[in-house]
Amino acid sequence: MSVGGRLENANPVIFQRSGERLMTASEEDEDVHDPIDDREIFDLIRSINDPEHPLSLEELNVVEQDRVKVNDVESTVGVEFTPTIPHCSMATLIGLSIKVKLLRSLPDRFKINVHITPGTHASEEAVNKQLADKERVAAALENSSLLEVVNQCLCTKSI
Amino acid sequence: MAADRSLLLSLVEEFVSGLQDSKAKDTATGVKEGQFTILQLVEALGPSLTSSQPHTRARGVQLLSEVLHECYGTLTEAEVEVLIAFYENRLKDHYVITPPVLQGLRALTKCTVLPPGSAVAMLRSLFQDVHVQSLMLAERSCVYNMLINLMETREAELKGLGTDFVFGFVQSMDGERDPRNLLLAFKIAKNIIRRGYDLGKFTEELFEVTSCYFPVDFTPPPNDPHGITKEELIEELRAVLTGTPKFAEFLLPLIIEKLDSDVQSAKLDSLQTLTACLSQYEHKDLAEFLEGLWTSLRREVFQTSSERIESAGLAALTALTSCLSRSVLNFDSEDSLRTFLDLVLQDCKHHLCEMDLKLVWPSAKLLQAACSASNRASHIVTAAVMPSLMDQFSSRTQCSHRRTLLEVVLKFIQSVKTSQPLDNDERVLLAFRESLCSMVFSALSETNASLQITATSMLTSLAQQTGLLLDSDIELAVDHLTKLVLTEEDDKVSLAVVECAGALAELHPEAFINKMIPRLKKEIFSEPMYLETNEVVPEKHSHHAMRQRSLATLAAVSTQPSVVWESTPVLLEVLSSAHTGSVNFSVEEVVSACCSLQRIAEQVQDTEETGRCFHDFIIPRLLSLALQASVQGEGSSGCCSPLVEETVLCAMVPVISTSCSRLQPKLAGETASKAVSLFLHGDVSFLPDNSIPSHVQLLKKHDSLSQSHMVCLLMGCVCSLPRNVEVPEIDQLLSQLEEMSCTCSHPLPYNSAAKCFAGLLNKHSQGDFLDSLIQRTIKRVCTELDSPCSPARIQAFTLLIWVAKALLLRYHPLCTTLTDKLFSLLDDADLGPMAADGFSLLMSDSADVLNRSCHADVRIMYRQRFFSENSAKLVQGFNAAPQEKKPNYLKALSNIVNKLPKQVQVTELPALLSLLLEALSCPDQGVQLSTLSCLEPVLIDPPPALIQQLEALVSRLLALISSPAMSVRIASLRCIRALSCFPEYEILPFRARVLRALAQPLDDKKRLVRSEAVQARGKWFLLGSPGGR
Amino acid sequence: MKDALSLVQRISAHPDSRCWFVSWSPSGTLLASCGGDRAIRIWGREGDSWICKSVLEDGHQRTVRKVAWSPCGNYLASASFDATTCIWKKKNDEFESLTVLEGHENEVKCVAWAPSGNLLATCSRDKSVWVWEVDEEDEYECVTVVNAHTQDVKHVVWHPTQELLASASYDNNICIYREEDDDWECRATLQGHTSTVWSLSFDASGQRLASCSDDHTVKIWKEYPGEAGQGNLSWKCVCTLSGYHGRTVYDVTWCWLTGALATACGDDAVRIFKEDESTDPDQPVFSLAAQVSKAHSQDVNCVIWNPKEAGLLASCSDNGEIAIWRFHEED
Repeated sequence: MSVGGRLENANPVIFQRSGERLMTASEEDEDVHDPIDDREIFDLIRSINDPEHPLSLEELNVVEQDRVKVNDVESTVGVEFTPTIPHCSMATLIGLSIKVKLLRSLPDRFKINVHITPGTHASEEAVNKQLADKERVAAALENSSLLEVVNQCLCTKSI
Repeated sequence: MAADRSLLLSLVEEFVSGLQDSKAKDTATGVKEGQFTILQLVEALGPSLTSSQPHTRARGVQLLSEVLHECYGTLTEAEVEVLIAFYENRLKDHYVITPPVLQGLRALTKCTVLPPGSAVAMLRSLFQDVHVQSLMLAERSCVYNMLINLMETREAELKGLGTDFVFGFVQSMDGERDPRNLLLAFKIAKNIIRRGYDLGKFTEELFEVTSCYFPVDFTPPPNDPHGITKEELIEELRAVLTGTPKFAEFLLPLIIEKLDSDVQSAKLDSLQTLTACLSQYEHKDLAEFLEGLWTSLRREVFQTSSERIESAGLAALTALTSCLSRSVLNFDSEDSLRTFLDLVLQDCKHHLCEMDLKLVWPSAKLLQAACSASNRASHIVTAAVMPSLMDQFSSRTQCSHRRTLLEVVLKFIQSVKTSQPLDNDERVLLAFRESLCSMVFSALSETNASLQITATSMLTSLAQQTGLLLDSDIELAVDHLTKLVLTEEDDKVSLAVVECAGALAELHPEAFINKMIPRLKKEIFSEPMYLETNEVVPEKHSHHAMRQRSLATLAAVSTQPSVVWESTPVLLEVLSSAHTGSVNFSVEEVVSACCSLQRIAEQVQDTEETGRCFHDFIIPRLLSLALQASVQGEGSSGCCSPLVEETVLCAMVPVISTSCSRLQPKLAGETASKAVSLFLHGDVSFLPDNSIPSHVQLLKKHDSLSQSHMVCLLMGCVCSLPRNVEVPEIDQLLSQLEEMSCTCSHPLPYNSAAKCFAGLLNKHSQGDFLDSLIQRTIKRVCTELDSPCSPARIQAFTLLIWVAKALLLRYHPLCTTLTDKLFSLLDDADLGPMAADGFSLLMSDSADVLNRSCHADVRIMYRQRFFSENSAKLVQGFNAAPQEKKPNYLKALSNIVNKLPKQVQVTELPALLSLLLEALSCPDQGVQLSTLSCLEPVLIDPPPALIQQLEALVSRLLALISSPAMSVRIASLRCIRALSCFPEYEILPFRARVLRALAQPLDDKKRLVRSEAVQARGKWFLLGSPGGR
Repeated sequence: MKDALSLVQRISAHPDSRCWFVSWSPSGTLLASCGGDRAIRIWGREGDSWICKSVLEDGHQRTVRKVAWSPCGNYLASASFDATTCIWKKKNDEFESLTVLEGHENEVKCVAWAPSGNLLATCSRDKSVWVWEVDEEDEYECVTVVNAHTQDVKHVVWHPTQELLASASYDNNICIYREEDDDWECRATLQGHTSTVWSLSFDASGQRLASCSDDHTVKIWKEYPGEAGQGNLSWKCVCTLSGYHGRTVYDVTWCWLTGALATACGDDAVRIFKEDESTDPDQPVFSLAAQVSKAHSQDVNCVIWNPKEAGLLASCSDNGEIAIWRFHEED
């Protein structure tokens, strides 16, 4: 997506990517039930591309494993994300990408909450309210230009 | 003659008035056979050519031109002169005549006897009388081809035309739209530039008329019969635009402008064109555009989200810097390289102080790209950036910052250009040697793994800079590495350390011989500390891990023969101490020592010296130790030497076979005869440490299991020798091996004997002896297999498989008898499943015998050959088999297809598809899995046959995602993911169904399954969705 | 809780999609559903089960968010994210598209017929509420555009007997409108919810209004005639049901036959509340009479009482299902 030529935050801080999750013996054991845990949710969202940088949300520290909470038994997921700057106009789009990624990747029994990390964005409440409104999310995803940007954020890049 | 003349007249009449096109060919044949001359044809055409009807005149000229096309090679110079005069004249005629005139002229341009001056005359008339762009496509192509032909043969004459030639061409191609013609026009323009035609005042015109197509934006129409690609046009145009520095003043501003484009492909083309032209330019050609170019390049690298653009931008910067570096040699008045690099440094250097911000990376990449352009550039850039980077490294405390710094410095070291330095001044990094070393050593001593890993890469890079590090630096490095090998518990770090030690040991063996090996030896042989009877488990564990790392390091550093002489005795001593029990080594440690020996055998440089080392020293020692252990094992009932363990023996086999496979012929021959006399006659004389009772009988049936195990070492010795090495007493050896393989009751000996037998058979020379030997074996094997209650059926089956494999590889005709037997066993109640699995063994490379590195006789494409000869049998067998036996056939099929090269799979797939689909619904999980794994690679580039069966394929795959076996669930999900890359219109109808089916495995109890489901579902969601594909 | 809610039938109504809304025809014999698959389906009873009578496709380009039956039962209006409202006319058992009402800038979120059948209200994310007039020739004309809300308008509902309109919005408020000199004006703004108000339902008398919200509560509002001057209306919150719902309450429906209140909630549950009989009309007390915690496997988007058959309830969910329930009251 062309964001009017100039980037809002041309030189953001970048963070190291965490490695691949190490496989344990129990994960290969047919009989063991592996619960869905925080790391698994984090792995789903950390590679989402930022809409304006060639970087992942993890590299920009927009998502962190500590800000992901899942309760497999109660079927709830909560994700807090941190926009790189407090006035980032991409915040809603980033939140939408996270939400869509989770909707596509998690069993539908899950209730998914995506919020901005408290105190990190000027329009925190407004963005949170929009992301929580499933009717607006549904309508947004029927808007093909918006869907295109979201899909691009979710395309796994071939590096 | 009269008859010929009337024939000619009638041919002309029938072509011109009768409009019979085929007559042109007949006329040409007449000319070629000498029935009439060209001039007679012109004469006969007289009435048509003077007709008042333009169409008749055109038809007449067309006949002449078509004949010329066939006969231009037979013309005389005089004839050509007349014809050219005729055609030139016709160019002024009615426009309908122009096309055949051009055809004729084109034929004449191919004549070798073109009279002097005629080429110029022809072109003058052409440029004067014809407006090329108002011609049809084919005629325009004709004009371009004329020019191309003349440029090949009449270069001097054309150059005599001066700038008129260029001007004429520019006018001819101005406005050309057809891609085929453009390729021709670009070729002409390229010739004009490359071959030094005078451009004169038309330089800019030539540039304009070609550059208006830049950047090329062309999409071939669907089903394009001409097969012209965008890439071809880009290449040809680029060759024109970048062909001469005379274009620089026009091209560079154009590139700067196009780099601003939003179209990614235009950016990429511009960057690549820039890189290409810079190899032709000198500094004065780009002086006034430097700032503009730099601004654009910096913007592209700073802002792009495309890796291709980034790397193209960096390549352009390297080319630019290297262009300026070249010029420096000739122009000392103004140092444009320094001026330019100042510009780069000014914009990038300060970002190198912002370690956690995004621009640190693109800035470093830009500086490194400039740095790698030349030795001078390396000097300037490193002098400017290195001190600050090293200061920061010592002052910063945050690990991630230090790691970034280290990586940036590492990339600088790797990008430094060393142009065969004549003296020390040329060595770019010399000034920083001390600080770089202290940086590396400090990072190696950190506790952060990624910092340590980067430091090892940096150490390797520094060591590879010839003449940079002092001996004392190397010794210090070896100390650090040794310490890390002994203490570092992180797997990734120790892997990097071992790799680094290997690289350094190749360059500086002495330091490793003197410092590292003695130290490692000492630690390997130290015993762990135990507290009375209660073993301190963690300490025991860490001592074991230390030994494993040390053993692996010994292998890694042994590439130079001098090191091998020091390291292998240590490893052998591990085996002997383990055997005697003087030091406690676990079986696993002994196996590691063997692995290290094998790795050394693999990687050591092939010299007489190392061959001797293995032949005189290592192989006899291994045999001796194994033999001692097996003899002892027989006597004492209590504790055994670890060397009798199957795993240890199996680890010794590759040491022996790898080293034997690399022996010089003389040594190989000696090894063969020693091994044979040991195994046949119990001759132990060549073994060191002669405490072994002589006349052991290793191949005879006896009660000692541990002695019969030794046969695997025989295989190591005799099956990997070069094919020209003769194995003595082979008849007796083969018959004893056959006997052992059919009668022994323990799997290791009967398997090894069968493999050894097969390995020898494979290399045995052709002839009656071999055939009768094989027939004898077949008979014996079949007899055993045909008696259902024989106790040795499995042994016979094992021998059957290995012999079949040995013969299959060398295309021996008797192989079919054996493989047919194997097919018939698919119906066998007991051996059916084993037979099905046997096909996997038959089709795959085996690790220790019958492979190319063992010098086995392996014909190319034996798998394809086997497949094409047998697939029909398999299909028939499947159709005829009772229901409960069908899975065996499907499993055999998937085992075979699985191992075929992909191209073969794709061509064979249509015939087998229904069977493979059947295999997917076969309840046997093994069959499902093997079929899925053979389908997955085919799905990446699906053949049409597969697309036609999409419905069946999708249904079966979706059924398998709820399989009870997680491996099947995973494999089927991978196939479903691969399906998402099929042509969109084919799979879009399945989207909703697949997405619904994939919802369920998202909640699978296994994480690995969920992760596959997530990826597959993500791909299918993107399908048909905007921005998705 | 002695009362029980039992499942009559579960129908996969909009497979691979959401079912957003269901609506009973005035006679109670037909049920219309709509969803993310852009289709409207009409369900009718045959024997003991509900089957699909017709599918109305091609009317909308995007999600159909709500459907509404005209009081005569011969027309159906549908509101869609494609910014249009479609009017369908029933002919025998088939429906044909009669006209398309355009004008909203973006998603139309709700449509409702006035009890007279002569007026239609629509609302949209464009923050406006439009009132349309219908004449005998089936011509629709927009008579008013009201911009009383500051955010998108989620729901509109008419008073059961009067020409009085209520709307609920993302701005947390409820507005009540009345026609005044050919113009519709907001006469009361009901503030109290702390987040989006998703739906509204009048009781049979029209004196009370139930609202439900993203703040996990249901509120009961009561009209106090004549208390506000200048032609304005006075509605006050007399009861708040909190602590029952675990997530957003997406819908509330007031049964005009029995007075029972049903809710649809994002915690997958359907709940029934009954008013305690001997309570103060200014401080009514509602208590939970029945609940099905996993009424659907995903969010419940809508509940609606059958207008003729007491105790018959329909609900629908994000998983594309409709469920028909029967509420048994203990005597």
